[in-house]
Amino acid sequence: MEQNHRRTIRFKLNGRTAITEIATHETLLEVLRRDFSLFGGRESCGQGLCGCCTAIVDGIAVSGCLYLAAFVDGAEVTTVEGLASGGKLHSIQESFIANCGFQCGFCTPGFILMTKELLERHPQPTTDEIRHYLSGNLCRCAAYPDIVRAVKAAAGEHNR
Amino acid sequence: MKSFDLAEPATIEEAVALLDPEDKSVRAIAGGTALMLMMKTRLFQPTRLVSLRRLNGDLRGLRVNQDGGLRIGAMTSLAQLEYSHLVASTYPVLSRALGTLSNIRIRNVATLGGHLAHGDPHMDLPPILMTLGAKVSAVSPRGRRWVDICDLFTGYYETSLIKDELITSVEIAGQPPGVYCWYEKFTARSADDWPTVGVAVRYIVDSGVIRDPRVAVSAATERPMRSAAAEAALTNAPLAPHVLSKAADAAADELEPIADLHGTASYKREMVRVHVRRALEKAAQWRR
Ligand SMILES: Cc1cc2nc3c(=O)[nH]c(=O)nc-3n(C[C@H](O)[C@H](O)[C@H](O)COP(=O)(O)OP(=O)(O)OC[C@H]3O[C@@H](n4cnc5c(N)ncnc54)[C@H](O)[C@@H]3O)c2cc1C
Ligand code: FES
Ligand code: FES
Repeated sequence: MEQNHRRTIRFKLNGRTAITEIATHETLLEVLRRDFSLFGGRESCGQGLCGCCTAIVDGIAVSGCLYLAAFVDGAEVTTVEGLASGGKLHSIQESFIANCGFQCGFCTPGFILMTKELLERHPQPTTDEIRHYLSGNLCRCAAYPDIVRAVKAAAGEHNR
Repeated sequence: MKSFDLAEPATIEEAVALLDPEDKSVRAIAGGTALMLMMKTRLFQPTRLVSLRRLNGDLRGLRVNQDGGLRIGAMTSLAQLEYSHLVASTYPVLSRALGTLSNIRIRNVATLGGHLAHGDPHMDLPPILMTLGAKVSAVSPRGRRWVDICDLFTGYYETSLIKDELITSVEIAGQPPGVYCWYEKFTARSADDWPTVGVAVRYIVDSGVIRDPRVAVSAATERPMRSAAAEAALTNAPLAPHVLSKAADAAADELEPIADLHGTASYKREMVRVHVRRALEKAAQWRR
């Protein structure tokens, strides 16, 4: 492999400085899993459709499966593992547990991260807004009614 | 995917110098949403990608032009447009369409420049911009030229851009007060899918008579196209149901649909007929 096909990237990952060496074609999702053992993001469709690979880059949600790892050089990245603080889960995580917003849990990290962005953009979302915003997240277990309930409860919490 | 040379120039001059008019394996990358799909399926294997993410200036920002239209930097994300109050008040038809374009993670990353340069006939915004009137600024080592949006799309995934030209911004024309606009997106599989047929319309009504009508269709044909026949059927005709139906028939007869995953050619022809009429009707109901 040619020299300029590899590079070192430095970024903030869940609040801490992260440095790793990558190849130019590698996706953010691959690198998070391989180099940082962050397995919350999963590759499912690999085409931007399902949201299982969601990560937050500089405050916006992206599909990690379609995002070049090289592009997070200098950025701030948050994964589901970075939401809890001081041993306490984030209120959105609590809300998904309290409302059973999942069955197998495969899609849950993506839904939780998307909910975080949803509540930043629409602090008091209507049911339609929730459904529309999360329409790019697929749940094979079809836990959708419970997910919407969990998001509504989290919005209440968020606004307190 | 295979690795490649990834350049991240800081100026537009450096960026266009890194492109190669002769080499198809060298391309710009903006959000990367379209390119990554092509690279993952090995439809495209780059030797070099020139990232536009460090470029500023002309490629960023949104402002109002003298004619009341908007100038939008090519690196503006589709989500920035979706959430822009300026876009919502100037072109409500664009804001509405953006909400149905793919999903929010894609819109967060995909850029207007990449959306237009890709030349995919299924894209939602080209037909709308073709009806509003727009031009793109294309910069190369030879300088800048303006390309009318109606001349940008030349074929299936083909544009009139030269391989070392970059879109830096898009200027959309200001609209007269009381203009009627609509974009009708028809998806045959799921609501958030790519369109089977997309129809954009825009016209003015003056003393009950249609003036300056524009009808553009995407996804059905090999490139987004205006329908001259539909526009002729509308021009100076009264805003009446039989006129709108006649225009829809004219578009269906004139355009040459091609089959894809979203429908056969004959199905698409019927869908053009149905959705041109609906778009014209809904524009009248919605006004702007
Ligand atoms: C899952 C999914 C679903 C989608 N659904 C829809 C949909 O329903 N409707 C729809 O309209 N679109 C849809 N899209 C397409 C999406 O709109 C495009 O992928 C996106 O707009 C491309 O923008 P980008 O910045 O990511 O482009 P990139 O992938 O970075 O680039 C695309 C092409 O444009 C070139 N390019 C990029 N920027 C410039 C520039 N400034 N000047 C010159 N050339 C440039 C690149 O070289 C490349 O050839 C979907 C995409 C995905 C992944
Ligand atoms: S795996 Fe990335 S969106 Fe489905
Ligand atoms: S909980 Fe199983 S996929 Fe959503």
